[in-house]
Amino acid sequence: MNSRALEVVVLCASLVAIGLAYLRWLRVAQREHYLAGSTTKFARRWWLAGAINQVAFFAAVVGAVISAWYAVAAFMPVLVAVMGPFGFGLRGRTSKLAWTGRLRRLATTSAIVLAIVLGVAGIFGLHPALTAGAMAAVAAPVLVDVALALARPVESRLLAPYVAKASKRLTAVSPRVVAITGSYGKTTTKGYVAHLVGATFSVVASPASFNNTAGLARAVNEHLGSGTGVFVAEMGTYGQGEIRDMCQWARPEIAMITAIGPVHLERMGSLERIAEAKAEILAGARVAILNVDYPLLEELAQKIEESGKSLWRCSCREPRADVRVTVEEGKIHVLANHLEAEMDVFAHASPEVEPGNVACAVAAALSLGVPPEVVEARLGALPVAPHRRNIGRNGSGAWVIDDTYNANPAGAASALALLATLGDKDAKRVVVTPGMVELGVLQARENANFAARAGEVASELCVVGRTNARALLAGARAAGLPARRARNRQLAVGWAAAELGDGDAVLYENDLPDHYP
Amino acid sequence: MSLVSPIGNEPVGVLFGGPSPEHDVSILTGLQVARALLNVGQGPIEAIYWTKGEQFVSVDPALEASAFLEGPPRGAKELRFVAQPGGGFFMSKPGMLGGPKERKVELGALVNCCHGGPGEDGTLQAALDMAGLPYTGPTAAGAALGMDKLAFGAVAHAAGLPTLPRALVVPGAEAPRWDDPPRPFILKPRFGGSSIGIEIVEHWADVLRYVQLGGPHASRGVVAEPYRAETSDVEVAARAFPTFSLSLFARALRVSGSSPILSYSDKYLGGEGMVSAPRELPAPLPGEIQKELSDAAASVAELAGLRGVWRVDFLVDDATGQWWVNEVNTIPGSLSKYLWAGGAAIDFPVLLADMVEEAHRRPSVSWGSAGADGTALRSAASIASKLG
Repeated sequence: MNSRALEVVVLCASLVAIGLAYLRWLRVAQREHYLAGSTTKFARRWWLAGAINQVAFFAAVVGAVISAWYAVAAFMPVLVAVMGPFGFGLRGRTSKLAWTGRLRRLATTSAIVLAIVLGVAGIFGLHPALTAGAMAAVAAPVLVDVALALARPVESRLLAPYVAKASKRLTAVSPRVVAITGSYGKTTTKGYVAHLVGATFSVVASPASFNNTAGLARAVNEHLGSGTGVFVAEMGTYGQGEIRDMCQWARPEIAMITAIGPVHLERMGSLERIAEAKAEILAGARVAILNVDYPLLEELAQKIEESGKSLWRCSCREPRADVRVTVEEGKIHVLANHLEAEMDVFAHASPEVEPGNVACAVAAALSLGVPPEVVEARLGALPVAPHRRNIGRNGSGAWVIDDTYNANPAGAASALALLATLGDKDAKRVVVTPGMVELGVLQARENANFAARAGEVASELCVVGRTNARALLAGARAAGLPARRARNRQLAVGWAAAELGDGDAVLYENDLPDHYP
Repeated sequence: MSLVSPIGNEPVGVLFGGPSPEHDVSILTGLQVARALLNVGQGPIEAIYWTKGEQFVSVDPALEASAFLEGPPRGAKELRFVAQPGGGFFMSKPGMLGGPKERKVELGALVNCCHGGPGEDGTLQAALDMAGLPYTGPTAAGAALGMDKLAFGAVAHAAGLPTLPRALVVPGAEAPRWDDPPRPFILKPRFGGSSIGIEIVEHWADVLRYVQLGGPHASRGVVAEPYRAETSDVEVAARAFPTFSLSLFARALRVSGSSPILSYSDKYLGGEGMVSAPRELPAPLPGEIQKELSDAAASVAELAGLRGVWRVDFLVDDATGQWWVNEVNTIPGSLSKYLWAGGAAIDFPVLLADMVEEAHRRPSVSWGSAGADGTALRSAASIASKLG
């Protein structure tokens, strides 16, 4: 083969490799909410996960560099990009690539970015283009991130008509809007509010995953019937200004913050900044509902007090709170003492109930004018959010706590407490977890702490995947808790099913989609 | 089996969903109907989903229910509805040069699978009448009567059918003296299908309190009637085209713990929809009662001008043989597919084909301006003089 023919073959092979790599990294971009930078971050995690990936990546980079002189060396990055990272499937097991309009636009933009890179290199000849192709095969995640950054302004413009439509719809239907944010407990509390209010008003709650601008606009456009009396909107945030933008058109009358914790800490920087971003929800609201068990929310409450808003302090310990909810012997005790309503009742509580969230939901219902007797009547049947401390039994009779949608340290601690209450006295109690993510600088510490606390109630820990393996194993070691590892959740579940019998108990704490190592 | 289509090759539309508490059940009915029509392979099927947000969208007729869990399924295309002659559903289509063009979704007829809300109360029917689009099921007037429990009870009573007393609960009203000693009261939303919002209340004071508290089920009025615990719910489906036919009778079994009424979850959340609701089918009813109930089901159709498949619910006291017409469901869940069994078996595709043919043969409205011949205009004085 003459050298030109070889160069053409190598370039074509690079293009195939980049195509396959794009499939992998576009999937990550989709799972990570199309945030520019996320793809490279995950690529870094993957290529550093395990010796094989580290060696393969190093070889690919070296191959790409050498290809500037020897075209054939480009086969190394091509091969690595086709095969790896090892353990990261092309199609995805838990989170398959969905060819939505947005993804197609991103794929097109990514292809254009690649074309520009190759085109610029091509000005200098075929060989430089080939080397650029080899580099691009290695750096595909970076190209996807560039495409994400380029597509961002276009995507906001494309979103504008949907937001305008949603805003018009809200004005036309004019429901009373309850907006809920918080580092955790949003979805559960939203379910509680919808339930407590549902007998009195026709209520629509935004679906679980619809908590950003696009999702909220979609929820309004697709779910808000003209007879809707109350709209319960969940609002999530990845940064400053996001909730403020949503509130500008959703215009909540009642705004609630359920918790402040280190979720998305790596994006937000500090707990104070998280609290600041969440506090945007209160700006135009008539009523503010805050879970003051979190010191940053107590601080916020003190500021709010001077603003003239109707403030509901909610707590599960503070006796002078406007709504205090405690769990006593399987019953929830709700004590409300506020200008707008009073109540002092006991109701049946399922073990999944989260008292702080109940307190916030009761405050919302009472401030909407739901009669206390109706709130009381409905407290006994609070809905259980799926995959959050749900208790069941598996085929071999072992207790199973499904807490796989929980991703925060406070919730994980409650799940451990629940595990301690299940099973026979000498039962095996096992915790299966990949650990918690997005906790920034606290991530390693929180996971180690979790494993150490598991040592107090569990007989064994099963660590899933690599993401938090080091911290979890260190925590377990410190607590003297026997630990084992499983490559993925499926294998862990299989192991637990075989290991545990009648009267034993297992806690599945958090689950990570398979784009995490 | 071939579906005899009276409409050539024009597609049949299947409409489901709608802003109603029975939105989800309607999706199940619609998907069953669409699938049955697809399976017989006669002509194209257009599935039209009416979202909770009150938009019409075109969806794949072969979808599963789970595709609708978070709203309109992926790939749904927005439709615009035009309620004037030549109207119907229009799909926007990007034009070759610049602005969007619209394509009319050509439909021979529409199978209305909406339950509760504006799809079953005459609103949708009136809009389809205005668009000149033939549809299955009740006319606007029939649907409106079937949805209004107070009006339907009064019409059935006036026609001499046995009915239990039924009254609109007005704040502050005196307790009705229906029985001595008084029975508990069963409260129902005045407008609405299924058993959503049905309550049994012991004392009249609590009835008034319930209405005073309001709530989504009470906002448009609540009717009360005496609750007869000794009766059982018996249902039968009927149709009038091509000839009057009646399904098997079914008797609902009350199993849901303390709640003596067949609850929404009993009815619909059993996994396979209506089929799994606990019931005796056929219900072991004496022949004489069966005959009386059959006649009553036919009378109900006459009274309300029903088309398609409807279901009449009766209350039957087994001990005394007494019975009462309870209510009519003009677009029953799954079109009462499960009742057309045994000796009354009609294949679902045949049932659907007959409904489509009926939509053409028995028009839902006939409007005209005959009589408005200008006499009134000619003899009229000036408008100003009329205003005086």
